Amino acid sequence: MSFELLLGAWVATGLTLFIFTFLYQDNPLFKLAEHLYVGVSVGYTIVKDYDLLVRLIYEPMVKQGDWSLLIPLGIGTLMLARYIPKATWLSRIAFAFIVGVGSGLAIPRIISSFILKQVEDTVRPLVSIVQGGPTFTYNLLDPTSNLNTIVLLIGVVSVLFYFFFSIEHTGPVRVAARTGILFLMVAFGAAFGYTVMARMSLLIGRLSDLIEYADPQYGRASLWLGLATVAILLLWNVRQREQPPDKG
Amino acid sequence: MNFAERMLHIDRRIIFLVIGVCTLLPLLYPVGLAIKVSPEVRGVHDYIEALPEGSVFLLSMDYDPASKPELYPQAVALLRQAFRKNLRVIGMTLWLPGTGLADQVMTQVAREMGKVSGKDYVFLGWSPGSGSLIINMGQDLYKAFPTDYYGQPTRELAVLKGTQTLRDVNYVVSLAAGTSGIETWYVYGKDKYKFELGGGCTGVIAPGLYPLLRSGQINGLIGGLRGAAEYEVLIGQKERAVAGMDAQSATHFAIIVLVILCNVFYLLIRTSRKQGEAR
Repeated sequence: MSFELLLGAWVATGLTLFIFTFLYQDNPLFKLAEHLYVGVSVGYTIVKDYDLLVRLIYEPMVKQGDWSLLIPLGIGTLMLARYIPKATWLSRIAFAFIVGVGSGLAIPRIISSFILKQVEDTVRPLVSIVQGGPTFTYNLLDPTSNLNTIVLLIGVVSVLFYFFFSIEHTGPVRVAARTGILFLMVAFGAAFGYTVMARMSLLIGRLSDLIEYADPQYGRASLWLGLATVAILLLWNVRQREQPPDKG
Repeated sequence: MNFAERMLHIDRRIIFLVIGVCTLLPLLYPVGLAIKVSPEVRGVHDYIEALPEGSVFLLSMDYDPASKPELYPQAVALLRQAFRKNLRVIGMTLWLPGTGLADQVMTQVAREMGKVSGKDYVFLGWSPGSGSLIINMGQDLYKAFPTDYYGQPTRELAVLKGTQTLRDVNYVVSLAAGTSGIETWYVYGKDKYKFELGGGCTGVIAPGLYPLLRSGQINGLIGGLRGAAEYEVLIGQKERAVAGMDAQSATHFAIIVLVILCNVFYLLIRTSRKQGEAR
C-alpha cells in the first residue's frame, strides 16, 4: 500500500474520531478538526477558483487571442469595487447585470417547470375511460390510480385552505383547514423520516470507513487513534477538573 | 422524581451510545435483510439498460464530501452499469467542492471496468454558473467545456464525437445533495433541450423531488443509501450500500422504540400528575 493512501487513512480516521468527540462534549480535539475543516475547505476553493481563472480567462485570452472575454472579466472585476468606499457604486453595475440576467433566465423556466407542470399533473381526471366505459382504480400503491387522484385533490385543496388567511377559519373552512393540517403533518413526517435516514446513512458511512481502517493493512488506524483519542479526552477532563473555574 | 421523569431527563449521550451500538453491530455482523426494489429506482436502471451501445450518458455528480456516504455508492453503481453497457460516459459536477470526489469515482470505476479516458469516458470537471452552464452546454458543449478536467481539448476527444450539445445526450442523471442538482438540470436543461432526465439524491431532499417524479419530469429517483442499495441489487453487485442496510434498519428500529418509550413516559407523567391534582 502506498504511503499516501496510508497517511490518508490515518488522517481520515483521526479527524472522524475527533469530530465524534463532540458527542461527549466540546473539547480541543473537536476544535482542531473543525478548524482544519474550515481551513482546508477555503484553501481548496481558492486553488480551484485560481485554476478556473487560468483555464477560462487567462489561457483563452493569452494563448488563443479571445479578447472578448475582457467584457465579462471587466463586469466581474467591478464586484471588487465594494472594497473601495468611493467606488462602491460601480459594483452595482455588476450586481444589476447578475440580477437582471439571473431573473430573466430563471423566472420563465421556474414558472414553466414548477408551477405549470405541477398544476398540469394535479388536475387529472377522477374517472378513467377504458375501452369505452368509465372505470375507477383503487390501487393506493399506484400513484396514477383514481383513488390517489382524489386523495391528491383533497390534499391540495385543503392545504390551500389552511394557507388562506383572508377569511376566518370557521365552519366548513375550518374543516378544510384542519384536513390541510393533517396532510401537512404527513408531509412533515415523511420529510423527517427521510432526514433521519439520511443522517443515519452518514453515520453508517463513517463507521464503515472506521471498520475498514481498523484492518492490519492500514496499521489498525481506527484502534490506535481511538485509544489515543480516549486517552487525550481523559487527560483533558482531569486537567479541566484541576483548574479553578474561570470567574471572569 | 419517578422512573418516567428520570427517563425523560436521561443524559442524551446514552442515546448517542445506543444509536452508535445499533449502527456498529450490524456493520460488524451483517444479517442480510431483504431489499425490495422500488419502481422509482427501477425507472433509472431500466432506462439505462434499454439504451443501445454507444449512447451518450451524462452523469452529473452534484455533491460534496458531506454527502459521500449516500451518493458515492449511487455513482459507483450507475457508472458500473453504464460502462458494462458500453455507453459513452460524460462525467461532471455542478459542485466545486465535489470535483476531486467525482474525478476519483470516475477514474476508479473506469479502471476497474477497463475503460480509457477520452475514448470511453470523459470527466469535464466543474465550471461556474450552474443554470447558465447548463444552458451553455445546451448551446455548445465545447464552449462550455473547452478542455476536460485534465486539460485535454474536448473537441479532440473520441468519446464526444457527434455530441455537440445537450440535445445529443441520450440520458442525464444528476446525483444531487441539494441545489444545484436535479431541479437545476430540469429547469435549465430538460425543459428546453428535451433529453431524458433521472435523479439520485440524499434522503433529506428526496421528499421534495417526488412531485417531479410523479409528474414525469424525471423518469426515476434513487433516494439516499436505501436507493443505492436497491441499485446495487439491480446490477447484481452488492457492496457498501447493501452492507449499510442492516445498520439502517437497526437504527430506525431503535429510533422508533425510543419515540414510543418517550411517549409512554410522557403519558405516565401526565397521568400521575392528573391523579396528584385529583387528590
